[in-house]
Amino acid sequence: MTEKPQSTTESHLPRRTVLATGAAGAAVALAAGGGAPATATTTASATASARTRHEVFQHGVASGDPLPDAVVLWTRVTPTPDATPGSGRGPKVRVGWEVATDRRFRRVVRRGRFVTSAGRDHTVKLDARGLEPERWYWFRFTALGRTSPVGRTRTAPAADATPANLRLGLASCSNLPAGLFAAYRGLAERSDLHAIVHLGDYLYESGSSDVRAHEPDREIVTLADYRQRHGQYKTDPDLQAAHASAPWIVTWDDHEVTNDSWAEGAENHDATEGDYAKRRARAHRAYDEWMPCRMDGTARLDDGTRLYRRLRFGTLAELSMLDLRTYRDEQISQVGTDTGVDDPGRTITGEEQMGWLLEGLQQDRAQWKLVGTSVMFSPLKVAALPRDVVAAVNTLAPLLPQDGVYANADQWDGYTADRRTVVDHLAGQGVQDTVFLTGDIHSAWAIEVPTDVGSYPLSPTAGVEFVCTSVTSGNLKDALGTPSRSPVNLAAEQAILTANPHIKYLNFDDHGFSVLDVTAERTQCDWFVIGSRTDPATPITWTRSFATLTGTSTVQEVDAPVGG
Amino acid sequence: MCTCGDVRHGPEVRERRLAELRASRRTVLTAASGLAFSSAVAATAGSAAAGEAGRVKGAEDLRCYVLVVDGCRPDEIDSGLTPNLRALREQGMYWPRATSMPVMETIPNHVMMMTGVRPDRSGVPANAIYDRELGEVRTMDLPSDIKVPTVIERLNRRGLTTGTVLSKEYLVGIFGERATHRWEPELYIPVSEHAPDLLTYNALTSMVDELDPHLVFVNLGDIDRVGHTDITGTTLRVMRQAALLQTDTLVGQFIDSLKSSGRWEKSIVIVLADHSMDWSVPTNVISLQAPLEADPLLEGKFVIGDNGGADLVYWTGPARERERAIVRIREIAESTPGVLKAWDRRAPWLRLGPEAGDVVVFCQAGWRFSDPDPVTSNPIPGNHGHPATRAIPFFIGGGHPVVKAGKVSPKHARTVDVAPTIADFFGLRTGKRAYDGKSRL
Repeated sequence: MTEKPQSTTESHLPRRTVLATGAAGAAVALAAGGGAPATATTTASATASARTRHEVFQHGVASGDPLPDAVVLWTRVTPTPDATPGSGRGPKVRVGWEVATDRRFRRVVRRGRFVTSAGRDHTVKLDARGLEPERWYWFRFTALGRTSPVGRTRTAPAADATPANLRLGLASCSNLPAGLFAAYRGLAERSDLHAIVHLGDYLYESGSSDVRAHEPDREIVTLADYRQRHGQYKTDPDLQAAHASAPWIVTWDDHEVTNDSWAEGAENHDATEGDYAKRRARAHRAYDEWMPCRMDGTARLDDGTRLYRRLRFGTLAELSMLDLRTYRDEQISQVGTDTGVDDPGRTITGEEQMGWLLEGLQQDRAQWKLVGTSVMFSPLKVAALPRDVVAAVNTLAPLLPQDGVYANADQWDGYTADRRTVVDHLAGQGVQDTVFLTGDIHSAWAIEVPTDVGSYPLSPTAGVEFVCTSVTSGNLKDALGTPSRSPVNLAAEQAILTANPHIKYLNFDDHGFSVLDVTAERTQCDWFVIGSRTDPATPITWTRSFATLTGTSTVQEVDAPVGG
Repeated sequence: MCTCGDVRHGPEVRERRLAELRASRRTVLTAASGLAFSSAVAATAGSAAAGEAGRVKGAEDLRCYVLVVDGCRPDEIDSGLTPNLRALREQGMYWPRATSMPVMETIPNHVMMMTGVRPDRSGVPANAIYDRELGEVRTMDLPSDIKVPTVIERLNRRGLTTGTVLSKEYLVGIFGERATHRWEPELYIPVSEHAPDLLTYNALTSMVDELDPHLVFVNLGDIDRVGHTDITGTTLRVMRQAALLQTDTLVGQFIDSLKSSGRWEKSIVIVLADHSMDWSVPTNVISLQAPLEADPLLEGKFVIGDNGGADLVYWTGPARERERAIVRIREIAESTPGVLKAWDRRAPWLRLGPEAGDVVVFCQAGWRFSDPDPVTSNPIPGNHGHPATRAIPFFIGGGHPVVKAGKVSPKHARTVDVAPTIADFFGLRTGKRAYDGKSRL
């Protein structure tokens, strides 16, 4: 979603157009109990025996992309005080890692070593394999005589397992200058989340300063910039706690590169900022270094940047995480009634990703088909007519967009042919229990996805969509300067709900996170909100919950959230 | 569409069927209720002879009722119109991801339920096929159409008794004399060719009360038959909703009767549909006859078996041109508006067997086929056979301890699972490859 930088300055760091990779990054996994203890030492230019006095693990620990037998482990080391993120300074470091079935590491089941360097910004990312399915683990790193904070992670159920439930935290749109990350604290304080799904805009590109100041204090463009920005976010204590509490499953939206990005450019990119493809490559490189995810299916850095991927949770659910920025066509410029949004030649997913997505949306794969989409899938309309009426009118001239007069062409509303492909597939193949999980729009929504928005609710629904609100990024209340739930804001919500009867819940005002609980009977989404973006001790409270019963593709409000 | 036998039977088929019926040994029982049941001679003598394999220990006290709520959509169980079915589901074991199997039609899925195998083994892939031997399209309603033993016959051989209470004429036809006791309706509603659920219910309760078979296989046809003709199906489904209410009431009464008669504690009740239902508006009709006929390669050398949401296309030209023809048929079909996909029938996942022809064409949701005539062959709005109609309700209730109340499983249950479930319940030993389905107990 558009969030313009409030202030930008020209970069003072040298721009790097060639991605540094270096020879570091090799991981060696050892079975627990085999060989010497995995103590960590520096190599080459660093002193092997010295115990550093500065904090080595300044950026916390993280895990991600759980499989039945593996999970990605992540940390960053700071071998010397000046080896700050993006600095390009600091020696190679050998880092030890270990995974245990208890938090005191009495039962270590896997351990190994990993060599990192400035070539990868001293990040450590590896796949810990040989683990048992559907099990909690604890992990930590050692380097330069220091031990990292302990992280907790969990593997996915076996492919044919029938887990009682899957419980996920949902978050999106965490703009650091806009406030404190209390929502991440809320996620970290829960002990029942099997994973945390971040739906994009994990960080922002601006150089703005508000509640907090972005570092660097300018729009990020170079690889060093992106690394520094990632490093800044990962010093936030609430974000560190959330990363240490459960594995994360992430995708990016636009701000991980720059605002309203598309395949070959972005609204917030111009020629003075250099070649867009190179800028994006730098952003993606930094993302790969700093995020606990598998790109192109591996934890390696130099083998591609395909982020869309699918994670399976037994027979209960599959989660398809989409990349809706890298392959999309440019947004149409005249928002509202431009029928260009219906152009079948335009795409938001790209052909290959669409084929992959449809392959995953099959009834015989898993019961619940969860789709992580960084932007809203459902129509959001000012007005809509039945499809056959629109088709009749458009026999005269292309006067009306198929799905009505839309509000935001940056979401799937701007690419209706792709949405039609997905909806027709779900209806045509008899696919049930599809749930779209969404971020981007800084507000909370529960939606029934219509097959024909103009004739809803008389026509069937294809699935449901739950949109989590932002961690901090500005919403309607912030934009208007009004108190939360003020009459003006409520009137705006009501106007949207009235024009869009398939939308069952909307909260334009609050920041927070969501919890999604999946069982064979139903999938429920709970919305939690924070009180203030500036109060470190702000309370976190439950607001509303909606659920979809299996086989119904409808949502209904429920009285209470799932246990915490 | 659910094809009706009369309009598609040639004289040879009729004769063959009559011969089959004459050759069978049966007698007609007039129950105390006044309903007539056909029963095997051995059973009427009261001996329920155990077959060569002998009785299964403990099976004598078990009862299994398979209630096929024909054409019911799974979401209709949550519609508020079916409180009895919903209660049965919630108090039993439930598979929300359950599906019908291709072709999503009545006859093949009922056959899959009772055989436990896919059509490439059972020989029954669709309601309507082109019979190459006869040279015409016909309904698969002959007992000899099923090429493998059913679980009905397996139970009979073990000395257990079985019953069929089937509301549709073609189901009565294809299951023939297999069950120990059969209800063969004397009166079918014209056009729909089915007996109303009220009659079916009366037959079911009479058979259970007076003959008490170990297994009863029941088809309740009202929801499907009303759905086919509900012109408000794309929106309000007015007629359909009335049928749901009525059928649900009867199911509730049947469950009550099991409880009051003391059978509940030794019973499982398998409730499922054979397929669901999809509705099309009059403009969303596909007819492949004309575009295929217009192709020089195909002209006069193909036949279409219309199955409502699926067309089976048979190449009737020279064998040497078959592969080229299959490619052309698929190309033409997939360029036709409303077609979802045209598959080479040999695609491994279909498992339909040669009876299904050469190309299997599915329509999109909200469409239907009408072949060979675009107007008269299939005028009804409600259809199935295409993937949009795969999802079905599937749950097992009952008072027997094997039923784990409230259990909901994300596993993929299918119509083909019914026979192995029945076999498992009655303790029949089954080889690993005997069934394509899996026991859901």
